[in-house]
Amino acid sequence: MKAPLTLDVNGMRHELEVSGETTLLDALREELGLTGTKKNCLEAECGVCTVLLDGKAVNSCILLAHQCEGRNITTVEGLARPGSLSPLQQAFIQHGAVQCGFCIPGMLVTAQSYLDELDGRAPDRDEVREAIAGTLCRCTGYSKIVDAIEAEALRLNAARWEAC
Amino acid sequence: MPLNFHRPSSLREAMDLKQDLGEACHFLAGGTDLMIQRNRGRKIVGAVVDLSRLRGLDRIEPLGDGLRIGALARMRALETDERVRILAPALAEAARVVGGAQVRHMATLGGNIANASPAADTVPVLLALAAFVVVLGPNGERRVPIAELLAGRGRTTLQAAEIITHVELPRPARGSAFLKAGRRKAMEIAVVNAAVSLELDAKGLIHAARLALGAVADRSLVVADAEAMMRGQAPSPELFKAAATLARDASRPISDVRASADYRRHLASVLTERALTLAHKRLVAATTGIPA
Ligand SMILES: Cc1cc2nc3c(=O)[nH]c(=O)nc-3n(C[C@H](O)[C@H](O)[C@H](O)COP(=O)(O)OP(=O)(O)OC[C@H]3O[C@@H](n4cnc5c(N)ncnc54)[C@H](O)[C@@H]3O)c2cc1C
Repeated sequence: MKAPLTLDVNGMRHELEVSGETTLLDALREELGLTGTKKNCLEAECGVCTVLLDGKAVNSCILLAHQCEGRNITTVEGLARPGSLSPLQQAFIQHGAVQCGFCIPGMLVTAQSYLDELDGRAPDRDEVREAIAGTLCRCTGYSKIVDAIEAEALRLNAARWEAC
Repeated sequence: MPLNFHRPSSLREAMDLKQDLGEACHFLAGGTDLMIQRNRGRKIVGAVVDLSRLRGLDRIEPLGDGLRIGALARMRALETDERVRILAPALAEAARVVGGAQVRHMATLGGNIANASPAADTVPVLLALAAFVVVLGPNGERRVPIAELLAGRGRTTLQAAEIITHVELPRPARGSAFLKAGRRKAMEIAVVNAAVSLELDAKGLIHAARLALGAVADRSLVVADAEAMMRGQAPSPELFKAAATLARDASRPISDVRASADYRRHLASVLTERALTLAHKRLVAATTGIPA
């Protein structure tokens, strides 16, 4: 049975009608056309469906859409204004971190959540690796992904010191 | 299969919904177990009652010298909360190795208990910390030692409409430690895990030792023999080795795709010895002020 649902996604409010079993992932892809969030394992193992829920990375494949009413959702499409790239996205390009690309939206969102939690502290490479452990790259191109995230964390850390 | 979603605004309403909707209705916290069991057809889930928005149930607050933790506290909060790290380092350690960051942002302490997996990471810790679980039901509240809640693989003694509201850690457990062995370092269910907590008396002898293991029986297992053997003794490598042997002998693991029963028994012994050594170091550091 469908029920009304208000979802706040990337700063926009949407009024939807979805059934109780609809996952956030399906609501984003099928109802809102936000296909940057990928669909794969459906068991929270692979991380390609990662979105930010109130700023924290979560697996949208096992969240019910109705669970997210009134909360702020950010998908990969919301990391930067349309037509522009976020500093993290630019770092991925600079470091050649993208191979087939399928994991990259989830990887970017996972990394963004980590950077936000890091809040300008100095990164540690092992910590970066651990932070993205829930998001798999089947091309196994982890080194460059970690390079990109570490570089962006270092930039934010330097910026914090400059601001002092 | 259709699923009806309910978001109660109070615990009372949550219990009423559960009572009215019956067997196929489940409480939903983080959903990191329930949703997967539903997808795999292991549980019939015709309705959920969402507990995750009930106010205040995710709080972590002091309780005497110990802590009171809301059942809806997320693993991420347990991992990062300064009081948990100091008063119950084993709990922070266990929370830190549950799934990946995404799962830890959703998964709750209450869900880890209620799901009753023999390999759950926080449950052995709660046993080693002599935690009490506060449970609210249609007939009122009860406060039970965590061990009394565990009834076997995937089974608890919770009655149909009962909700875990809090976990109480009555005493500080600065001398506690948790270790987990998996096939890889992250995103891995435990092959074996071990949690210990030590308290020393004024003479430096062991006043209380508590030890619990995961994934070596049909539920998280307290090694009472080892606890009794260590009481009143001076902590030493030999003592910890002897406790490790008792832990191995108490284990009744199965063989499965992750590991053989023999290897699990071996791990039970190794992890026990290492966890006791680590917990003792922490306790000494906490009492002398010199970091471990
Ligand atoms: C990819 C992945 C990795 C994982 N890795 C680990 C791991 O390393 N270690 C580990 O221990 N677990 C792991 N888990 C399992 C799971 O994340 C934990 O058991 C988690 O703590 C469950 O909490 P939840 O809030 O998500 O529970 P839910 O799925 O919401 O609920 C689980 C069960 O408990 C009941 N329930 C929930 N809250 C209450 C309550 N307050 N009162 C009464 N009943 C309640 C529900 O009805 C349901 O039956 C993993 C899961 C996934 C998907």
